[in-house]
Amino acid sequence: MQPSEQNFAFHRKLKQEIEVWLREKIITPEQRDRILARYQVLKEADEKAGPGRLITTITILGSILIGVGVILFMAANWSEIPRWGKLGIIFSSMLGSYGLGYYLRYGSENFPKAGGSLILMGSIIFGAGIFLIAQIYHITVHYPNGPLMWGLGVLPLAYLLGFRTILSLSIIDLLIWLGMESSFHMSGLYSSALSFVTLYLICGISLWSAGLMHRGYESFRNLSGPYIVMGVLLAFSSGYILTFDVFKESLGSEGLIMFYTGIIGMFFISGVLYSLSREKERGWIPEMLSLSFLMAIALSLMLFIKKVPYDLRHEGTVNTITLASNIIYALEIIGIIALGYIRRYAVYINIGILFFVLDVIARYFDFFWKLLPRSIFFIIGGIILLLGGVLLEKKRRKILAAFNLGEEV
Amino acid sequence: MKVKFIVIVMLQVILLTGMIAYRQHWVSTGERILLRTMPVDPRDIFRGDYVNLSYEITNIDLDALGANSEMRPNDVVYVALGREPEGTYKAVSASAVQPAGGKFIQGRVKQETQAGRWTISVRDDSGNFRLLSPRWFGGFNVGERVLFCLDGRGNVLSQSKEMPSYKPQCYTGEPLWAVVEDAKETKFRQLWVEYGIESYFVEEGKGRAIEASRNTRDLKVEVSLRKDGKGIITGLVMDEKVIR
Repeated sequence: MQPSEQNFAFHRKLKQEIEVWLREKIITPEQRDRILARYQVLKEADEKAGPGRLITTITILGSILIGVGVILFMAANWSEIPRWGKLGIIFSSMLGSYGLGYYLRYGSENFPKAGGSLILMGSIIFGAGIFLIAQIYHITVHYPNGPLMWGLGVLPLAYLLGFRTILSLSIIDLLIWLGMESSFHMSGLYSSALSFVTLYLICGISLWSAGLMHRGYESFRNLSGPYIVMGVLLAFSSGYILTFDVFKESLGSEGLIMFYTGIIGMFFISGVLYSLSREKERGWIPEMLSLSFLMAIALSLMLFIKKVPYDLRHEGTVNTITLASNIIYALEIIGIIALGYIRRYAVYINIGILFFVLDVIARYFDFFWKLLPRSIFFIIGGIILLLGGVLLEKKRRKILAAFNLGEEV
Repeated sequence: MKVKFIVIVMLQVILLTGMIAYRQHWVSTGERILLRTMPVDPRDIFRGDYVNLSYEITNIDLDALGANSEMRPNDVVYVALGREPEGTYKAVSASAVQPAGGKFIQGRVKQETQAGRWTISVRDDSGNFRLLSPRWFGGFNVGERVLFCLDGRGNVLSQSKEMPSYKPQCYTGEPLWAVVEDAKETKFRQLWVEYGIESYFVEEGKGRAIEASRNTRDLKVEVSLRKDGKGIITGLVMDEKVIR
């Protein structure tokens, strides 16, 4: 067996599993030693090679440092370098790191991690080039075009090479573009900042759904991570803001309707493609339904809340909406943690727990809730969770007993 | 895959080259005009790698130009330009419709506000009366002795009251000590427009000289105008010297 990251993992698992086989008397101690000896090369290679993730991290950090260094060098020597010199540095460093990166990763030399990082660096320098050209020509108007071109320019590369790092870079660029571009279309100078929150909320839901779609197709599964992680984080962070007492303000802007349409279109298409895919995961129907439900709520908040007359909003209605949004948010948290356990998907569980903690802290200190019997909410919530935990534990024990497996406590 | 990789990288190169070619074409074919800059609020200082520029055409007096159209933030606005004797250009009209001819610059409305303009008459130490128009004169009263700091064209750059404990002085501009005889504020509709030529990028540490020049109104900016009125900065004119 060739020494590789996958085979190292296999070897580690084998060492654990083989002890179980021995206990259950499937194999004898001699057989165990013979099996392990067969994979001796893997063991040695694994011990000597050092952790692969560390290498990836180090090379990625190195690329980012060099990229930033190139930008700083330009900034500090602005007038000393002639215009063609600046452009020459950008083009040569971009093409150089792409070329060397490709050679190291796919060429005769076998340094895939360092090569991958160099290709990422090329993508960063490409973005630096866009901003440098904007600076050379003193462009300030419509600056959002910069992140847009950067994001769209590197996106094909992410798909061609299957790079999650470049995909993340592209998604971040496009999210920045969305914020900058939409601020140009807000109808008033003092438009409510909450319009951004709802915009990013539906954007997060759409990214999340796009991530699920990528998981549904074998060839794109590798790239689903950045969509899901950023989508879930965005949806939960913007949802978090909506659990506060914010419903007196307008939550949407008419100038943003074209953005709403595009984002909802993306959500719809990815949802349909996912439901058509063969490889759906457990719990996909409740997940997609919840996302559609959240999307519908966000949309109605954006489009209709501002039309409710101010005096009507002021009395009771606001409190009801805030309460409803808190209940929905709590359900979302429970839902994502549950989905995480069902699918053994650590990202969902971690994000769910993070926002659970943030939500508890916020509600504890929330002035708005002083009006309501906070203590009762906490106690009832706690009881529900505890009871749920007991029920789940009972069920889990039953299932494990059915498989006749003990559990380490 | 190698071919596809090369194609994508080449597309990136083409995109960057396209950006350069487009701007370069604009710079070389556009019509050059000179715009006079205005001092910027001192809080809005040099931020390390660029200078904020504000122009005389940044805040337009709609009433003086007789412009009626209601403008909302982010609307596109066309400002027709007229040549002044010194070769610089000033706003002669503002409208949402592109003018059929003449020189004009395209911008976006930031805000339309009610602004006040002060006209004050003062008597200087040698007894001569003068009319001044500071940008702001709230908090000053008739009969007070005030130090005005004036630029070469008689515009007020700053003013401060004389107090028993504090004797003000001018850090920029020529000092003029005078007693306020009369102060009047007239309200007018002011349109704040952004043209996309509000930043000039320089390397670290070189912005101070440009800032000082901007704040004494010596600084002029050379702008190249495209046919649709969009402007791009092609150089700065400081003390009659062109910096590119």
